[in-house]
Amino acid sequence: MKIKYFMALYVAKGAQTAMRLLGRNATFLPGKLAEKLCKNFLSYMTPPKTVIAVTGTNGKTTVSNLLTSILQDNGYSVTNNSFGSNVQAGIISALVADTKLSGKPKKDIAVLEVDERSSLRIYPYMKPDYLLCNNLMRDSIKRNAHTEFIQFIVDKALPASTKLVLNSDDLIASGLGTKGQERVYFGLEAEIPQTSQPQHIRDIVYCPRCGELLQSVYVRYNHIGRHYCPKCGLKSPVPDYCVTEIDREKNTFTLRHGEEYHTYTLINDNIVNAYNFCGAIAVLTEIGLSPEQISKGFADSKIVKTRYEQLDAGDLHITMLMAKGQNPIACARCYDYAAKVSDPDKALLLIVDDKDDNIGNSESTCWLYDCDYRALKDDSIRQIVFAGPRCKDHYLRALLAGVDAGKIRCMESAKDGANAIDTAASKHIMVLFEMYRADEAAMVKAVLKDRGERGV
Amino acid sequence: MVVEILFEEVCSLYGDGQNVHYLQATLPGAQFVHTALTDEPYFAEHTPDLIYIGAMSERIQRRVIEKLRPYTARLKELVEKDVPILATGNAGEIFCKHITYKTEETEIDGLGLVDLTVETDYFNRYNGKVLADFEGMQIVGFRSQFSFMQGDNSQNYFLQVRRGDGLNKKSKLEGFRVHNLIGTNLLGPILPLNPLFCEYFISLSGEQAEAAFKEQAMDAYRQRVREFSDPEVKF
Repeated sequence: MKIKYFMALYVAKGAQTAMRLLGRNATFLPGKLAEKLCKNFLSYMTPPKTVIAVTGTNGKTTVSNLLTSILQDNGYSVTNNSFGSNVQAGIISALVADTKLSGKPKKDIAVLEVDERSSLRIYPYMKPDYLLCNNLMRDSIKRNAHTEFIQFIVDKALPASTKLVLNSDDLIASGLGTKGQERVYFGLEAEIPQTSQPQHIRDIVYCPRCGELLQSVYVRYNHIGRHYCPKCGLKSPVPDYCVTEIDREKNTFTLRHGEEYHTYTLINDNIVNAYNFCGAIAVLTEIGLSPEQISKGFADSKIVKTRYEQLDAGDLHITMLMAKGQNPIACARCYDYAAKVSDPDKALLLIVDDKDDNIGNSESTCWLYDCDYRALKDDSIRQIVFAGPRCKDHYLRALLAGVDAGKIRCMESAKDGANAIDTAASKHIMVLFEMYRADEAAMVKAVLKDRGERGV
Repeated sequence: MVVEILFEEVCSLYGDGQNVHYLQATLPGAQFVHTALTDEPYFAEHTPDLIYIGAMSERIQRRVIEKLRPYTARLKELVEKDVPILATGNAGEIFCKHITYKTEETEIDGLGLVDLTVETDYFNRYNGKVLADFEGMQIVGFRSQFSFMQGDNSQNYFLQVRRGDGLNKKSKLEGFRVHNLIGTNLLGPILPLNPLFCEYFISLSGEQAEAAFKEQAMDAYRQRVREFSDPEVKF
């Protein structure tokens, strides 16, 4: 079997080299090839000394990038798949690229972003030393079904030896690990919301242990918050790593671990990212980095430009914000973030239809109805342009959420959408674009930039 | 008019919950009774004009069946009295004879109001679209499911499928209809996606109402019917 493995390794490495020479991404096919030539290829690989898996519905890429960047800043060599696929073939491709011909790993640490649905194909063969799970929420209907299914899949796949780093404010994610795994929790005590009211969409309502209706101390969004069961006593775990303060003026946040408090640079002010940062610090601390080492990495790090960018053109201010289509909660968080940006006359251009699902197909729009559109009612949003093949569906969905019809326009193409914005009425244009529509987003940015510079 | 929504807090996967909001927008004068899993159903002592229940996880499905089991006779009575009941996604399965959960190797009895059985398998996810005929209108919708109903629904099907699958991959007859109890695997926002069907469903109660945001809903509906009818669009 070893011979088969090495044959597959060399073929995959050869394919990688050839693809790169042709200027193509070699982040999926080499892995696919390796697996095809040698069943359970992953199980024969020699892993780096430390393997960190990052999973969860939202925030995987941000956390993986951050971990990789900080580890590299501190002199570690890191294998990472964030620029490729996060399913089995992508992970194999990343590992193959960083494996010597002898089969030995070239790097110290692997930071692997792992699609939850792929857990069963990965964890039994490449056992992570640490697994960080940010959250488990409803996601793509077609692939992920519902959170009970995803929790079942991840839990079944996880080895007993993996140390878990879990979000204490997510009662589903924090429930992972039924094989007695060691664990630490991270969470937020800063900016405690005033509401304990149920949200539009909740993925956990009844106690997973006894079935009683859960009570909430507070709710940040969806089921993220602090909850307890009045019958059996189950409650959100106490975080070992806890963000205690966010200073938006100084762009810093303070984290408590044990008796110690440390302050870090706030790279992005979205509360969702506060969880991402806290989880990343927990993992880095667990593998032995000091607060000073982590802090330095935070100060130097930036959210990748393709995900969040701001620019000025003439008197227009343009914000480009990546949203995940077919992911109702991630998309709703972007709507919410856009609504909360303090600017009284914003225009929103929404390009969130799935790219592939509309080619020779008609995208399932069920997810629109799981996504909370109520943030779009905010008075600070003066105009909304839905651009894309499903614009009529977005329009109807927005009306059902109570958004004023007078401020909505529908355009079939992204370019028409960019031209439909009344720049005299709104000087701040926020473009929310689907992650696989980066090309269109770049085109839209160019159109808006041009309009800003020409003052039209 | 009283509309009872069963277990919305847990039976609203895939956008099903917005069927409720669409009904509310369409029937602004109606009383909506939201029955939680911990409540006694309103229908136990009263006769609602409409009942709706949406899709749920498999664990919740088992709990819903146990919750409703003591009310089986009452539900049967309501069905025979032609009370309109709409069950979307896997909610219709609770009315079947029994459900086999292949992954967990368990089987439970359903409420037995419909002569069909169900097989659920976590490792076989099915996704699909449906273009179908029903009472002179075209119905469009989406399916995403772990389960299939089995049996003969030729005498009590809901939709005659033009494109897509019916009860299972070999069938062109989708869902079931027993009196006005309609069970369909179409999930999510079936009512806003099909404003004409929304009006039809309400009319089964004897009331007439124009679907909310009808102009915009019909625009989106016509586009989808056009796309689903296009042979270039894959199913």
